[in-house]
Amino acid sequence: MSAVIKFFSRTQGHKKLSFVDWIAYGYLFLGFLIIFLPVAWLLLNSIKSQFLLQKLDTNLLPLDYDRVVRATVFGPEGKEIFIIKDLPDWVIYWNELRDEDKKQKNDPEAFILKFDGNEYYALRTHLGLVSKHAKELIKNKNLPEWLIKYPSMFPNAKKDYDPDTYLKGLNEEEIRLLSEFLVLKPYKPNGFTSQILVSAINPDTQEIEEYSVNRINTNKETINARLISNPQGGIVKIPSNEIIVNKKLRPSWINYSDPLTNNVRGMNFDAIKCLNNSVFVTIVATIITVLINSMAAFALSKYRFNGQIIFFIIILATLMVPASVLIVGIFKMVSVTGLSGTLWGVIIPGAATPTGVFMLRQYMLTIPDELLEAARMDAASEWSIFWRIVFPLALPAIAVLAILSIIWRWNDLILPMIAVSTTKTAYTIQLCLLDFQGEYVAQEHYRLAMTVVSLIPTTLVFVFLQRYITTGIATTGMK
Amino acid sequence: MANLELIDVKKTYDKLQVIHGIDLEISDGEFCVLVGPSGCGKSTLLRMIAGLEAITEGKIVIDGKTVNNISAAKRGLAMVFQSYALYPHMSVRQNLAFGLENLKMKKDEIDERIMQAVKLLRIEDYLKRKPGQLSGGQRQRVAIGRAIVREPSIYLFDEPLSNLDAELRVATRVELKALHERLGNTMIYVTHDQVEAMTMADKIVVINEGIVEQVGSPLNLYNKPANIFVAGFIGSPRMNFLEFESLPNDIKSFAPSNSNVFGVRPEHLYIGNEHSLKLKIKNVEQLGSDSYLYGETVSNQNLSIKLNHQTDIKVNSEIDISFEKENAHWFNKDGISI
Repeated sequence: MSAVIKFFSRTQGHKKLSFVDWIAYGYLFLGFLIIFLPVAWLLLNSIKSQFLLQKLDTNLLPLDYDRVVRATVFGPEGKEIFIIKDLPDWVIYWNELRDEDKKQKNDPEAFILKFDGNEYYALRTHLGLVSKHAKELIKNKNLPEWLIKYPSMFPNAKKDYDPDTYLKGLNEEEIRLLSEFLVLKPYKPNGFTSQILVSAINPDTQEIEEYSVNRINTNKETINARLISNPQGGIVKIPSNEIIVNKKLRPSWINYSDPLTNNVRGMNFDAIKCLNNSVFVTIVATIITVLINSMAAFALSKYRFNGQIIFFIIILATLMVPASVLIVGIFKMVSVTGLSGTLWGVIIPGAATPTGVFMLRQYMLTIPDELLEAARMDAASEWSIFWRIVFPLALPAIAVLAILSIIWRWNDLILPMIAVSTTKTAYTIQLCLLDFQGEYVAQEHYRLAMTVVSLIPTTLVFVFLQRYITTGIATTGMK
Repeated sequence: MANLELIDVKKTYDKLQVIHGIDLEISDGEFCVLVGPSGCGKSTLLRMIAGLEAITEGKIVIDGKTVNNISAAKRGLAMVFQSYALYPHMSVRQNLAFGLENLKMKKDEIDERIMQAVKLLRIEDYLKRKPGQLSGGQRQRVAIGRAIVREPSIYLFDEPLSNLDAELRVATRVELKALHERLGNTMIYVTHDQVEAMTMADKIVVINEGIVEQVGSPLNLYNKPANIFVAGFIGSPRMNFLEFESLPNDIKSFAPSNSNVFGVRPEHLYIGNEHSLKLKIKNVEQLGSDSYLYGETVSNQNLSIKLNHQTDIKVNSEIDISFEKENAHWFNKDGISI
């Protein structure tokens, strides 16, 4: 620690900070901010709740607002929009709770009994009790089993069944429950959305009143809001600079715990499997890359053979071909060789990199030929010259290539998409992250959190290997 | 233990011929020094003997066996490089063991050989160090040790002393000579420094532009140089050469016929007037034990004199110098000794 303080309090020869020191430290600080701010933004956003992310919240910290619930209930009378206030947190944040918290700490069954009418229906849908109650009803009344599967059937399959006939023997409440479950007209899934509770001056009455708003955008002059005392009155515009909002710090750790414990609603996200695949691809591919590239570089730098320059130019020329041009070719190669759907299809096509060959060749050129000749006089085979002399001496360059390869492979999205996009079990972490952005669901809160998790290994690799880049082998033993 | 024979060895790079057919015989136990100016091909010749360079034409025979197509690893020679070429990532012990491990030698024997070598070279204390942590002289010893542990039939040295400072160079020279006495192996030593050649060699091979100019013992080369090149190369300071025509008549009188160039070594000149040469002194160097005088003759040719005592001769003074008749060297038009 004292070394760090000493480092940051150095001045240019004098005791006091000089002009140059100010510029140097200022420049350092600016560079630090440019690099650090996006990372800090990512870290802080990864612990924001789904609600905040959906509202495109621009605060740096995960400050949650006071919320109210805007419910939309569909019934025979049409749809009714109303606002439920003063709900306990666990009800508002129900969808963001962990499964065990839902069951252990709370009792939704007892809770909804405190309500009646449309509020009851809205909460029943929100707390996930519709399907539970409906299944109990089907069981108790000995209704046919296919009713349970009916909501998830394809429209064509639904034609073969007629649920209406079974509704006749039921009472009004039971009909409503089953209809909501089966999504029969005029019932639709009830809407239940959290909104932000703000206070503002009512332009009509000039009194402070509470409003519910969808999102707060201070860039706009007015905000669309719904008066809580008269939700049916429709949207009114209130000036955005006069609103009063309550915020409190509420990091949403479930962003991390849910995906890591395979607890993501609506999809099978196996973080351990994804990470395992990525680790396997990264390690194996890096080993193969280092081996192939260093052997090629050894031959190009230390042997004289016909066409040496041509080979080198061809290798370098491939640098000029954009990776995206090769997608179709790689796809064909991978599928023809039967590697499609296996992790080897990700590993092998990228094993030899022109960058790596070039970098290692240039480094190996600096290893004196006399060392190789000394080894030859020492009766070393060519393989042992490579493995015991050149490879260890090229270690600083090889460490750089290894670090680059680890970062390339870990962050690679294109090769996994080409090779394994049809095989879920072979998804690497980057493909898995892509999965959070589905056609119907966007779970950005999980995606941000898992992005942070996926950054950990590359960060660690860099922290532990960077000293190889900087130190290298200081003395060459020559002269 | 082995003798070595080169038969009409030639080396050509693309179209440039650097070795023009060398015949040479080095017998068992001999300390042979290849000497010549830089770029004369002596290192190339050594590397061809080692097997590091291909032979364009001719034959290299070790112990009666032609080794042209045998790789460096299998010739059983050991080489000490100019830059030492120690493996920088290995400790001294690993450096010494590397060659033996490649020969699949047993561990006990490797240890034994290393112990012998390090005792001989007095590097026991550095076994665990890396070459980067050693001084120049210590690295030099390790490089020699790496050759010794191999127990090769012939040792090859490629200017091994050129990276040492003057004092250490003299000390190591003596040690190398002692090492040769002790081991008794054939050694081939390449240098551009004629002092090293004179002090160490049993046999000196003077090479110039890919041709052997003269082979012989050090004193033989000094006393009876075969041509102007050898005469000028061996001996320090260099032999003085004067054009025959510019000589005074009394010197011309005892010259053999066909003489074109007259040569005399600086140490054979003294102040006197038996065979008088007039000299104008341009520079005087006093070394305490010796004095060097540099001057110009009447015909504006440079001449240097080595006196083995101190002198009070001043710059710009004119003196008469002389020499013994038998110390004069005479060369014909082609530079060959008469």
